[in-house]
Amino acid sequence: MIYDATVDGHTVRAEVRAGTGEGRYTVRIDGRPLEVDVRDAGPHTMSVIACGHAHEVFLEPREGGYRVLLRGRVLHVGLVEAARGAGTAPRAAGGPARVQAPMPGKLVRVLVRAGQDVGAGQGLVVMEAMKMENEIRAPRAGRVKEAPVQEGQAVETGALLVLLE
Amino acid sequence: MSSFRRILIANRGEIAVRIARACRELDIASVAVYSEADRAALHVRMADEAFAIGPAPSRESYLRIDRILEVARRSGADAVHPGYGFLAENAAFARACEEAGIVFIGPRGETIALMGEKTSARRLAVEAGVPVVPGTLAPLDDLDLLRGEAERIGLPIMIKAAAGGGGKGLRLVRDASLLAAAAERARSEALSAFGDGRVYLEKALERPHHIEIQVLADHHGHTVHVFERECSIQRRHQKVIEESPSPLVTPELRERMGALAVALAERAGYRNAGTLEFLVDAGGHPYFLEMNTRLQVEHPVTEMVTGLDLVKLQIRVAQGEPLPFAQADLRQRGHAIECRIYAEDPAQGFLPSPGRIVALRPPSGPGLRDDSGVYEGWDVPIHYDPLISKLVAWGTDRAEAIARMRRAVSEYAVLGITTTLPLFERVLRHPAFVAGDIDTGFIESHLGELLRAPSDEDRDMAVVAATVQALRDRQSARAQAPVPAGTTSAWRARGWRDLGPAR
Repeated sequence: MIYDATVDGHTVRAEVRAGTGEGRYTVRIDGRPLEVDVRDAGPHTMSVIACGHAHEVFLEPREGGYRVLLRGRVLHVGLVEAARGAGTAPRAAGGPARVQAPMPGKLVRVLVRAGQDVGAGQGLVVMEAMKMENEIRAPRAGRVKEAPVQEGQAVETGALLVLLE
Repeated sequence: MSSFRRILIANRGEIAVRIARACRELDIASVAVYSEADRAALHVRMADEAFAIGPAPSRESYLRIDRILEVARRSGADAVHPGYGFLAENAAFARACEEAGIVFIGPRGETIALMGEKTSARRLAVEAGVPVVPGTLAPLDDLDLLRGEAERIGLPIMIKAAAGGGGKGLRLVRDASLLAAAAERARSEALSAFGDGRVYLEKALERPHHIEIQVLADHHGHTVHVFERECSIQRRHQKVIEESPSPLVTPELRERMGALAVALAERAGYRNAGTLEFLVDAGGHPYFLEMNTRLQVEHPVTEMVTGLDLVKLQIRVAQGEPLPFAQADLRQRGHAIECRIYAEDPAQGFLPSPGRIVALRPPSGPGLRDDSGVYEGWDVPIHYDPLISKLVAWGTDRAEAIARMRRAVSEYAVLGITTTLPLFERVLRHPAFVAGDIDTGFIESHLGELLRAPSDEDRDMAVVAATVQALRDRQSARAQAPVPAGTTSAWRARGWRDLGPAR
């Protein structure tokens, strides 16, 4: 299998192939081969030995890839099958920006209305979750196309709060 | 003097578990209370008895004095331990317990009222000759008055809830034009958290250390201090890392702050465990900030360096026993550090990250303590404080404690939710932290470095693990067809355990 693997905005071509022997794989990262020996070590846990170096890896599926935990450090790996093309290519800059609820919670205040121009970092709504008020800010400057929410409303993770154009 | 037979724990999460453990060691039955969201919570599993007290929102359960006292009567509890947060600093609750003939494990209701109203505590400190942070000595209701006082004190300024604590209802203002909006936010948050929206002003000191002194007082007129805790590493004005001793505090400053703390506690007629918070400026001058009339979240740090069990001492003092030691008997031994593990995402401005913990592997080994309130498979609810655990490391000196904590954080795995653990991994390696060069702005000013890009080696290993797993997932999906398309859906449907090794 060949994937385009993106970690922290940096994309590499990774080819993974099962080798001979239990748990043996070869992973080529931008052509560089790595021989690894992988064993399950419990739920969401694997032990990886690469060139004599031992790694304990925890990983869980996340949208479009995995969240990987390496000795206390967290990395997000986005995977796209290279053969299928760029299914999740980043949207062109300047397109509409969806500001979504990053967590479930209650909307305490809606600070903008449709048609209003906002600057990057300007507060859009205030959400209460886990006893704290959190201001959700604009990821970039733009005009509010839609703000389909009301004060006092409870929202789930991913709910559209504000659409910027 | 009478021994308790049954203690009701009016709290949830890790602190309820902590108190249940103390009860078990003292051979006292523990009574848990729980909301509908907490029926399967760890604190219910750890208690001897458990009673439902209402729906998930804390206002309808953990803050319901009437229901909690009803459970106390029904279960025959002779004392109530309030933990921290919720009703711990609610004078009406302490009084209601006293009136119901149930011992409130803490100070008298009147002391809570006196010290809980932050401006009356400031006035008392001034009377006791304890220096306070410059600011107002009474709450301000009027915006014009607030503006005038802010001008007099000078920016930057802190707007603080008079009934406050725990960083709620607190706003830092550097720009006069933002004063009104910040005051409104502080009022609204304070009203929601404490049912009291009054605020007051304090001068914001530049790069202060936040250092607190633990005190213990019995019912026989003995008050001692149990040294300091350094609490400068904060986010959103809430502590995330605490340690004892403080790298800043000299033996002379320790003695001075200890004496100030004891003087103020005695003046307040204080009983049981309490904490006096101070800001210490770059010149080593302490200013009294506020008193917390309860057990602190970070009490294990003090327990690790003194060998005391503060929760058991609280219970013994509440039973009427005298403190079993004098000031001269107390010693600090070695160094302890605590990291508060929150269900929050540091990369997204510390937004809460509730959800199911799909895998959990706490660290173990020498010198560690993990005060957790969760377990693998538990859903961290959205309704409460996002603290899931407190990890504490002890070492013979600060360097060993830091090395141990680093090691512990590298072992601690929490999957399913995002936590502050990766942030600690970075903080504990930061040269300024290692050198003890810390202040309350540390995380804010170093956040860029603390969230820096991963190393090439880590990146490679993450790609290896993810692609191998994707391949194995795909192969087992094929072997067990039909399954939905996509690499992650089969995982979700079947879980890791069901997936055999690659064939």
